Amino acid sequence: MRISILSFTILLTAGLLSVSASGVNGQALNKQVDISFSRQTLDKAIKQLEKTANTPFAYDAVYLGLNQKTIGPATFSQQPLAAVLGRLLSGTGITFKEASGNILLNKSQQQGRLYGKVTDENGDPLPGASVRVAGSTAGALADANGNYTLNLAEGTYAIQASYVGYQIQEFKDILISADKPHQLNITFAGTSLLKEVTVSYGKQRTREVTGAVTEIKTLPMQDMPVMQFGQQLQGKAAGVSVTQSSGQPGRGVSFRIRGAASLATDYQPLFVIDGLPITGSINNINPEEIETVTVLKDASATALYGSRAANGVVLLTTRHAKPGDPKIEFDMNLGVQKIPRGSVPKVMNGEEWAQFMNEKFTDAKTYENPATTVPDIYQNPSQYGEGTNWFNLLTRSAPIQRYNLNILSAREKSSSAVIFGYESQDGVVINTNSKLFSLRINNDVSVGNHNQLKLGFNLAPSYRMDHNNRLTSDGVGGFYERIFEASPINSPYNADGTLATGAYSTGMTTYVNPLALLTKSQDDYITTRILGNGYLSCDFLPGLSGKLNVGVDKGAETRNQFSPSIALSTSSAAPVASTGLSSSVDNFSYTAEGYLNYEKTFLKDHHLTALAGYSAQRFESKSNSVNGTGFPSDDIPYLSAATVISAGTSGTTQYSLLSAIGRINYDYKGRYLLQGALRSDGSSRFGADRKYGYFPSVSAGWVVSDESFMKDFSKIDLLKIRASYGITGNNSFGNFTAIPTLSNYNYILNGVLVQGQTIGSLGNTELAWERNRQFDLGVELAILKNRITFNYDYYHKVSDGLIQARPIPRASGFVNIQYNIGQFEFWGHEFTLNTVNTTGRVGWTTNLNVAVERNLILNLVDPGYLRRNNTVTSDYYRNQVGHHLGEFYGFVNLRLYKDAADLASSAKYKSTGLSDNGSSDIGTLKMKDLNGDGIIDDVNDRTFIGDPTPTFTYGITNNFTYRNFDLSVTMSGQVGGKLLAAAKWAYLTNLDGSRVPLEAAADRWRSEANPGSGVYPRTKTGTTAIGRSVNTQWVESGTYLTAKNISLGYNFKLKNALLLKNLRVYGSVQQAFILTGYTGGSNPEIALSGQDAINGIGVDENAYPVPRTFSFGINATFK
Amino acid sequence: MKNKYILLVLVLLTTATACKKSYIDLAPEDSLSPSTFYQTDDQLQQAAIAAYVPLRDLLINDYHTSEMRSDNTHYLPNPVNRGTATVYRENVSDWNNDANNDYVNAVYYHCYTSISRANIVIGRIPNAAKATDAGKARADGQAKFLRAWNYFKLVRLFGAVPLYLTEVSKAEDAFKDRSKVEEVYAQIIADAKDAITELKAPAKFPQTGEATKGSATMLLADVYVTLKRYADAETLLATLPAMGYGLNANYADAFLPTNKNSKESLFEVQYLEGTAAGSQPNTFVFQFLPKTTTTVLITGAVASNTTGSGWNIPSFDILKTYEPNDKRLEASIGIAEGTFDASFIMKITAVKSPVNYVTPANLQSTPYIKKFVHGPYASATNSGENWPIYRYSEALLLLAEAQNEQGKSPLTALNAVRQRAGLPASTETNQGTLRSIILHERRVELAFENKRFNDLQRSTDGLTIMQAYAAKAKTTYTNLENNAFDIQAYKFLFPIPLPERNLNPGMSQNPGYSF
Repeated sequence: MRISILSFTILLTAGLLSVSASGVNGQALNKQVDISFSRQTLDKAIKQLEKTANTPFAYDAVYLGLNQKTIGPATFSQQPLAAVLGRLLSGTGITFKEASGNILLNKSQQQGRLYGKVTDENGDPLPGASVRVAGSTAGALADANGNYTLNLAEGTYAIQASYVGYQIQEFKDILISADKPHQLNITFAGTSLLKEVTVSYGKQRTREVTGAVTEIKTLPMQDMPVMQFGQQLQGKAAGVSVTQSSGQPGRGVSFRIRGAASLATDYQPLFVIDGLPITGSINNINPEEIETVTVLKDASATALYGSRAANGVVLLTTRHAKPGDPKIEFDMNLGVQKIPRGSVPKVMNGEEWAQFMNEKFTDAKTYENPATTVPDIYQNPSQYGEGTNWFNLLTRSAPIQRYNLNILSAREKSSSAVIFGYESQDGVVINTNSKLFSLRINNDVSVGNHNQLKLGFNLAPSYRMDHNNRLTSDGVGGFYERIFEASPINSPYNADGTLATGAYSTGMTTYVNPLALLTKSQDDYITTRILGNGYLSCDFLPGLSGKLNVGVDKGAETRNQFSPSIALSTSSAAPVASTGLSSSVDNFSYTAEGYLNYEKTFLKDHHLTALAGYSAQRFESKSNSVNGTGFPSDDIPYLSAATVISAGTSGTTQYSLLSAIGRINYDYKGRYLLQGALRSDGSSRFGADRKYGYFPSVSAGWVVSDESFMKDFSKIDLLKIRASYGITGNNSFGNFTAIPTLSNYNYILNGVLVQGQTIGSLGNTELAWERNRQFDLGVELAILKNRITFNYDYYHKVSDGLIQARPIPRASGFVNIQYNIGQFEFWGHEFTLNTVNTTGRVGWTTNLNVAVERNLILNLVDPGYLRRNNTVTSDYYRNQVGHHLGEFYGFVNLRLYKDAADLASSAKYKSTGLSDNGSSDIGTLKMKDLNGDGIIDDVNDRTFIGDPTPTFTYGITNNFTYRNFDLSVTMSGQVGGKLLAAAKWAYLTNLDGSRVPLEAAADRWRSEANPGSGVYPRTKTGTTAIGRSVNTQWVESGTYLTAKNISLGYNFKLKNALLLKNLRVYGSVQQAFILTGYTGGSNPEIALSGQDAINGIGVDENAYPVPRTFSFGINATFK
Repeated sequence: MKNKYILLVLVLLTTATACKKSYIDLAPEDSLSPSTFYQTDDQLQQAAIAAYVPLRDLLINDYHTSEMRSDNTHYLPNPVNRGTATVYRENVSDWNNDANNDYVNAVYYHCYTSISRANIVIGRIPNAAKATDAGKARADGQAKFLRAWNYFKLVRLFGAVPLYLTEVSKAEDAFKDRSKVEEVYAQIIADAKDAITELKAPAKFPQTGEATKGSATMLLADVYVTLKRYADAETLLATLPAMGYGLNANYADAFLPTNKNSKESLFEVQYLEGTAAGSQPNTFVFQFLPKTTTTVLITGAVASNTTGSGWNIPSFDILKTYEPNDKRLEASIGIAEGTFDASFIMKITAVKSPVNYVTPANLQSTPYIKKFVHGPYASATNSGENWPIYRYSEALLLLAEAQNEQGKSPLTALNAVRQRAGLPASTETNQGTLRSIILHERRVELAFENKRFNDLQRSTDGLTIMQAYAAKAKTTYTNLENNAFDIQAYKFLFPIPLPERNLNPGMSQNPGYSF
């Protein structure tokens, strides 16, 4: 390109001149000339020079291609002819010399060589680093060992070296001569703070970022035997809580950034893959495809995502091939998962259960009704021994495996990455599994000698097969509960070997046979997803570039579900009909974005970048569902076998988003930083009166360490203070929530169905996004040559206009109306410390992060609180104004009524007066009479009994290297916060005899003389219900420490061993151990609904345990 | 050089073309919009039909409040399941419920859902541009009948209730305080009068199932009797025979699936048996059976009826109340005989008549409601039994009551009912005695039709009757909570649901209830 020839020319001038001059001594070349060139061909310039210098030139213009070469304007005053020629011919490969007063021009025949090694600050090679002549296309890439070679014509050059993540280095006056190769070793050192991070709509240098941004490279975490990339992020970043609350294969991981919580809407962050915001699940992403994860936490970092940014944004950058030799990588990981024994409740075995029932009936005879008899089957408990161990029968050690084949190649102008993955995980509960096939093809092409035009094309299809892993496993009625409530004195099989119907013994509630439930149920999902995007970017003018990015997200999911009679029935005399379901969902969304970027440095130290763009996104989904029943047998699990199609629906939904974005960054000397950003979102979801939302943010940074007064603090490499404030929104509240809709309410007239139709839900024309106003103050410190870096952030955010399904009196005919009403306050502190503890033979680095998160409910609709439900037994928590999210709510437990005097002097449950014992008696649970009215009742005597929010959470990752070994230990945990052992007390301590209780409940109250452990009450009819109402007995400390992953690897240094360049083997343990005092199970990350604070955090209700996984893996690289 | 500018323009154009406001104006494609609906006769009728649907939800709950609350029925003990779904139901029957009882509250909610849908129809009719006057009258009449009927149920069970008379479209519209009882009744009377004017008498029998002039007439007469406006009631009731109503030959015929919407029916809630899409089965009559795995003897179909049943079990008291030879005893009640296991699930070995029944020594038995069960059913717990709201025999008994209270002889109407039941005609002339006879006649004629609690409410003897029954119930029934059957006058009104008062704290509670 012509524009750049001048600068190119100027760069190379001085050196080449001296080289050329060294070979000649002639008079003509020393002739002083005054000459001025305009922009013209070299041919014309030579002719002009020949004339001005009045010296004959000899050359073949066609052979030298002079007409094809152009020079920029230049002026020479009293310069020797040699200097002028040197300038004109530099970089052209044309040499000159004087012979007999003539100037001869010829092609240079002499080639020199530049070589060397490119390494990072630790001396490790940087394969793929680019070394090139400044401004030209001549260049080379470092090989696998970091070595590069560049053949150049003799001359003096400015050499540029670049490597992703480092600042470009330039070496001037590099002399290349034919005599001897020139060695130039290049080290990218101590510049980690100069590296770039992905931010919204672009990249930014780390030291110039003014928002709270955490970048996590996932490549070192590939050892983890996991199917979801979220699991790799556990404990890695302060303020980014990733927990696994259920062990269902391929599921159960949730994100929560800075304690985000929302009422009717989602609390999950927005996921953006290669610039494209994703709607829906990210489960189908193969972790191997992801290169970096950038978490945007504060408003200035997220504001460009406007009405979707309130919960934070997670930017996923997928893997692209890097400059370097073509290579093939093969990864394999094989593991086995086991349920940690400590997390399994110890319920009564056959003999213990029969003994318990025997005693229950005996006590009923003693205390209640002398006519009671002990049923025959409980007469001789010892005959049963262990009985059926349902847990062992229904769980297993389950394999997990993962294979990846990556084909990467990058050339000067193009790169291609093909990543193929297969993952399979069997559930630790029998007959459940998940498989994922994934492919990603990332292609990039550059055009133009300065790569002015870039085109990229990414395509990522995936295919997931889920088998029974979405059966309701957790919570009430989930199969994990079923495993423990089945009677141990029942066999899962009939005498003829067929599955028994039901698994309950006399006196129990009727339960299905859990073995039948798990082995005979079928609930299969097949998910196909194609993520694709194409972009085109162009540098129009110096500093001005534009980019068009168009992405599509196509997803389809089909479900085939079949519940055979045996899985539903509790009695063979009255079998429940089999049911089947077939449904499918088809989603399509596209995003089209165009934006311009302008960059300008003016008055030397003022640096400005500006971004302006436009974005349109539309999502559409179509779904249908058909239910059938009347299956003549259980043999064919498809609806074609159903004799009755009992229900069928189909529907569609859409949303669209139309946005404009703008951002300006300004800095002075890279020391004073300012940023302002604005997004406007128009959304189909907003009510008719609130169609557009504006989301501004401002931020500023001050690199204190660049100030002259900091010169004395030589140990400090970086000290930066930054602050931001901005407004973001949360719009994930359903597509047509703002619009009232008609629904079908059909009736029968004349003996046939007639259609009825009327308004089924209220709309709200003023429904708007939830607003989140966030302030952030951050400090970044790097000392001792960046060996220690420390980040601190304080944030304070207020979410208001929270959308609540505002309950309205049901006398209105409606249950609720979607309303912007609630207000939450969040604040917290985040600390991150990265240290390089040792270098050299034993390398040791540590990442420690700590997050302190607080929340407060400032406002809610009347009555100022939201309870979980009206049923007192599972009304676990209450969100109430003035309290923290999800505080547990219940009775205050005072153990048992000891004796008649205690009973007489204490308040009693549901008593109608002081003389009435209500539902209480000696040996039943005693609760505190909070309002002092002498009666325990469900309304007045319950209170807040525990806050699930931890004092702080933390993560520690230690990486060690020694010779060829590497060891990584990732731990995370929390201090403080409460857990509610609901499953333990509401289900496993049910003393009605309706289900099997914990072994420990054998030691319960039998008589005043034999009060047992004093924890478990008597079994008297009509008194046990209160034991299943939340009380302080259920609340336990939530402090824990887990070793999320420990992996040990060994690198074989293979010197040219055929094609295999690199081989690493490793072993790894996921969920290695948990240190906790919690007695309700061993997973303290438990919750009712992920990390949704509104739907119960810290509540343990029969959750599918998270398995411990031992695995072995190989990474092989072929070149 | 030019190419670059072309590209730049292209980028801008591509993005700018997307900049259309219509891009973000989306409406659901799979449902209709309220702004364009409610225009034609057919649409108004569809909207009116939607207002019938909550009756089905109401009936699943109302038998607790209107029947089990009385001396007619109780429940079978269920000590192995003390979940709130069990306890709340028992509490209604045992008169120890509080304002947080889901079953009582559901009655309140479902009445109002029907009222809300009626309000939508009534409010939108004036703007129905494409509807005929006849179509408007038909929809308005049905909506007003349903609104009046639901308010009548509410005002009797809960006393002063909020009066919602217009469509709710904003949150602010949803908060109303309680209106005076007289205001509620004034509205009921006005709506019922409109319905009588607008609706037509049945065109034929069997009827379609829609509310008719007869339905509205009966409703208003019922209201008048409740308000002791006997002369007004008598006038209205006298108009019914001309509309074609009359008694079926046999008492049991009134409930036969083959006799749906017969000349005896003034209004009934419609069901259609089946499991296929679009069927509307009655499932709750099976809740009136004992918990059993052997339903086949009662229903003719194999069903697991071990959960959710054992409710609305005829009391010891009603079994004894039938006069000798009253055919209605055998038509209304059956006896399941067999054995209960330790989980209180019955193995039924025989089904017997209650007439002179004595439980054999080695067996156990329980009565159950038989009049709504007409097997065999094709599928378990799925029937097409319609539910009677008003039958002509009740019209006769209301007429008898209205006449007696005015000092006229009620015997013609009263004896029409008695004689069909196989009982001798009454010749009583004493007004007070006749009052008791009519109350008793209502009890047996309308047994299990959700009338008894209202009858006890408006009878001056209601409190005495219930206290006497409670004394016996406490010694007869097992597994009662200690505070069961504490009968007090204030409990003849149910408490306003606690969740409603939590949302609207200004709303007062009925006297006697602590919250």
